[in-house]
Amino acid sequence: MALNPMHQFTVYKIGPEINIGDINLSFTNASLFMVISSVLILLLLFFGTKKKSLVPSKIQLITEMSYTFIGKMINDTAGSSAKAFFPFVFTLFMFVLFCNMVGMFPYSFTVTSQIIVTFMLASIIFIGVTIIGFIKHGIKYLELFVPKGVPLVLLPIIVVIEIISYLSRPVSLSVRLFANMLAGHTMLKVFGGFVISLGILGGWLPLGFSVALTGLEILVAFLQAYVFAILTCIYLNDALNLHH
Amino acid sequence: MDFKEISTRLKIAKKNIKVVEEEKSGSNATSFGKALKISTEFVSAVVVGSTIGFLLDNWFDTKPLLTICFFFMGVAAGILNVFRTAKKMQKKLDNK
Repeated sequence: MALNPMHQFTVYKIGPEINIGDINLSFTNASLFMVISSVLILLLLFFGTKKKSLVPSKIQLITEMSYTFIGKMINDTAGSSAKAFFPFVFTLFMFVLFCNMVGMFPYSFTVTSQIIVTFMLASIIFIGVTIIGFIKHGIKYLELFVPKGVPLVLLPIIVVIEIISYLSRPVSLSVRLFANMLAGHTMLKVFGGFVISLGILGGWLPLGFSVALTGLEILVAFLQAYVFAILTCIYLNDALNLHH
Repeated sequence: MDFKEISTRLKIAKKNIKVVEEEKSGSNATSFGKALKISTEFVSAVVVGSTIGFLLDNWFDTKPLLTICFFFMGVAAGILNVFRTAKKMQKKLDNK
């Protein structure tokens, strides 16, 4: 059991089983770690904005940096008209980042290594962006599927291809985050298993690898949250400004 | 600490940040990220295309004709995705 690298991804329920209709709504370890991440974000933002000094303390600096980081990202990729969506992108970025980072602690659970979680997040973005596009441009939003300068004969095929390409957005968005986290954590666990099975004589090399991989994983955890947020901005840009 | 000192310190700190950012953009980690981005972009389009074909096949009872058609459409959409992502990356490089 201890050496099974996939064991860390099992979802089990904590507390009583709650069934509403056919839906199982029990509180699981995944829910627990989502709550922990959310509480950590709230605490960080609460203490970061409590005392507003001209020379910021460390915690205030982190809060302000994350604010400007996301603000600048939205401005650069989606233009100033997307400023209204700052709270959404900021929440999304912080949630993914904290879920990834909390997952880096030993004995914790990585929520983002569950495809259903990432797919749910990506679906919210996808559906939301589509609705925003239709509200902003009405039926003209469908022009996104009809590129300019295509001969009429090719048009039916091109439109289908464009629609598939559009529908593949949530899949690629969710699979990227999920695969990164799953692969990274499995690899860490595999090397950890090598340390135990090779013992005190041969275990040093995989131990070194483990340490290096942990560093890489922290980088990946940040990078994936960043990619998730920046792709949201790019999709928002498509919906708001209507071009490829 | 007066205001002037703070602003000079800020300037130095900003300079350091810029240097770090430039170093980062050439590192292996971001290249790995780019590779993964492009590959998922391609694979997801193929998967979505094939799934649509499979569902339509079940609906119209035309197995396996539509799955095959939509598989190739998915490949085309995947290539389109990859092409667009690569173009965006190139644009970013040119802007630097």
